[in-house]
Amino acid sequence: MGSYLIKRVASLIPILFGISVLVFTILHLVPGDPASIMLGTNATPEAIAALHKSMGLDQPLITQYFHWIGGMLQGNFGVSVHSGEEILPQIIKRFLITLQLTVFGVLIGWALAIPFGILSAIRAHSKTDIIVRVATLLGISVPNFAIGTLLLLGLSLYFNWFPPIDVVSFWENPVEAFKVFILPAVTMGIVVAAGVMRMTRSAFLETMDKDFIRTARAKGNSQWTIVIGHAFRNSSIPIVTIAGMQIGYLLGGSVIVEQLFSIPGLGQYILEGIYQRDYPVVQGGVLFVALVFVLVNLLIDLIYTWIDPRIKY
Amino acid sequence: MKKRVLAGFFLSLSLMLSACSGGGGTAAPADPAKPQEGQAAAAKTELVVAAEQEPVGYDPHKVPAASSVRVYALIYDSLTKLDENMNIIPNLAEKWEVAPDGKTITMFLHKGVKFHNGKDMTADDVKFTFERIMNPDTGSIAKSYFSSVESIEVKDPTTVVFKLKNADAAFIANTASAYASIVPSGSTDLTKEAIGTGPFKMEKAEPGQYVLLKKNPDYFNKDVPKVETIKFQIMKDEAERLAAIRSGKIDISVVSADSAKLLEGKPGVQVKNYQSLEYSYLGINVNKKPFDNPKVREAISYAVDRNQIVQTVWKGEAALTGPIAPAITNWAVDTATYPTYKTDVEKAKQLLAEAGFPNGFDTQIETAATYPDMVETAQVIQQQLKAIGINAKINQLEWGNYIEVWKSKDMNLMVGRNTSGVDADRSMRFFFSTTGSANVWNYSNPAYDELVAKALATVDQAERKKLYEQAQTMLVADAPNLFLASPKNYYAVRDNIDFTPTAAGEVYSLIKTAIK
Repeated sequence: MGSYLIKRVASLIPILFGISVLVFTILHLVPGDPASIMLGTNATPEAIAALHKSMGLDQPLITQYFHWIGGMLQGNFGVSVHSGEEILPQIIKRFLITLQLTVFGVLIGWALAIPFGILSAIRAHSKTDIIVRVATLLGISVPNFAIGTLLLLGLSLYFNWFPPIDVVSFWENPVEAFKVFILPAVTMGIVVAAGVMRMTRSAFLETMDKDFIRTARAKGNSQWTIVIGHAFRNSSIPIVTIAGMQIGYLLGGSVIVEQLFSIPGLGQYILEGIYQRDYPVVQGGVLFVALVFVLVNLLIDLIYTWIDPRIKY
Repeated sequence: MKKRVLAGFFLSLSLMLSACSGGGGTAAPADPAKPQEGQAAAAKTELVVAAEQEPVGYDPHKVPAASSVRVYALIYDSLTKLDENMNIIPNLAEKWEVAPDGKTITMFLHKGVKFHNGKDMTADDVKFTFERIMNPDTGSIAKSYFSSVESIEVKDPTTVVFKLKNADAAFIANTASAYASIVPSGSTDLTKEAIGTGPFKMEKAEPGQYVLLKKNPDYFNKDVPKVETIKFQIMKDEAERLAAIRSGKIDISVVSADSAKLLEGKPGVQVKNYQSLEYSYLGINVNKKPFDNPKVREAISYAVDRNQIVQTVWKGEAALTGPIAPAITNWAVDTATYPTYKTDVEKAKQLLAEAGFPNGFDTQIETAATYPDMVETAQVIQQQLKAIGINAKINQLEWGNYIEVWKSKDMNLMVGRNTSGVDADRSMRFFFSTTGSANVWNYSNPAYDELVAKALATVDQAERKKLYEQAQTMLVADAPNLFLASPKNYYAVRDNIDFTPTAAGEVYSLIKTAIK
């Protein structure tokens, strides 16, 4: 186990290095550069040249890359070319906001998905199952920006309720934070729920057909005992897998939800960076997200061993 | 049935929410910046303005983005400013004198003006500011405004003299620009702190969330500002801004023409508009075949129905425009005098045939996907050009890419938007003279260049106006650009806010805004 962990962490280095080269290259291949975007159609060639110089964009690309990666290796993410502010504190601050939103959204999603997913599996092809499956299909098909906009407009127009506009953290003011995050979290949760629900249903359907479940039934166990005591753990590997992947994606910032509800999260930060061609912001942000994603995956792999002791690394 | 389910869902959600907000569902405008300790809700003193884009820095000489200007123009002052009729009025300079030859301009500064750090604002700060703008390393876009300046002399603490290489009739108007804001002498890095003389001080900028400005109690004009704080709340989504203004969470927001229609007659909100200084155009690269043939450009000009663009793209809420937007009444020419503004498809076909394209040709229109109005304008033009056999493919570009294509000077046709400067010189020379920085159309007409150079050196304003009228007529006939429509801009404003937007700009209105 210990050597496995060391191997996994060591394998992060080439992955992150590869991502850094990829992000840097793609970003610099995209037409447009921060100076001309900043100046727009008011630009004069000399103003662009002066900005390039002050942004350090007059250097050859390879020099720029090594300058950036050299800084990164010392934990220096550099500064935004537009605002001149340090990037790392911003990334951490926004990641914490995205983290709260994600956890909240995923909890709402799971609370909806797992009970209904189980219900629709053990009552396969009943009315309940059909209703749940149709709801799932809706959850997957309706884009989250539509759900979010409907929630926002519906509540503000019919009930004159609008979420607080200043984002606070749960550890600062839980009640206020709940009000800030509830709508984006519900929007996120609906999408999360749809995916998890389908996976839960199919995993349970498969498990409920297994011999050991038949044996458990033959022993006269109640349905409840069978589902919770026998089927749940045996069905949870695929559920945990999809949940892990979702968390990974969401921690990268659910861009649309953050944009819609003005949540200053990581996704919004990187998106804005892309629009402005703020190279260091996007490079640092994407690398950070990649690291989080890889670590979440590692965590999921470790959870497998706890769910199913037969899995050994 | 469905409706009831939906209403039930919202009802339960709102009950849950109001349960945890410990009161009714309506939100009292709480002020998170200043928690009110146990007192009854005090009178509202904070103005909340929606910012649809996040500011990208506050250095007035380096950042031309509108999202930043609307904030830093409240922190800094320029020497002069504009009123709602586009006339230049005193600001930090209380008066000025122009020598008869137009080459010496003396500015007399207001006495007793202080920067936010308590330091006196003097002629030294003015000299420093203009030298900073003119220093190529600063990269200021205002550098081109002041290219005529030879030297700046400080006569005494409140008198500064600009010596010009040549008479420059646009000089005073250019000092009204926010890009020419006066900064304290010795400033190096204005990204770290913003110290101006303006009506508001920078209080706090929370990236991604808001920028908070606080009233400057020592502002040299004692009558303003009328609110204690202004908060620019970053809200990038129009739907969110609409919901927020209707529920009273924000007081003022820019809205699109479509949203303005939706808000008409809704309780608590008023929609106000003004004729903007912007206009849309169809740019034509005069170096590219077949557009190098003036007859082809003239044909396009006859084929494009500008009124249809006004009706379709702007729902009728825009004015026809020439090279200078009609809101700039001192300089704009009545568009009725331009022959090509009367759409004539037959004449257009005949001109194309004379140019050797009886069956038209294929081409491409570049436009910015970021701005729906630009895309729609391109689509309308595409249809209109089809009528004379020109098949134009539309290329929708992301903004950064669009700017690259614009800079390349290698496009065929391009839809875009310009802002007319306050002085005619900018609209004419910057965009269309042979050496103009924004002349990406490769347009080069010595007669035109001579005309606008002469107009710039003419101190007599009536004489100048004549010259610019000739220049505008020449430009419309040569058609390096087709000038299309100048839209209205819309604001949604809460009923209890006394805010009137004008072409003089948002800042001019915000300084005077009061909460009723």
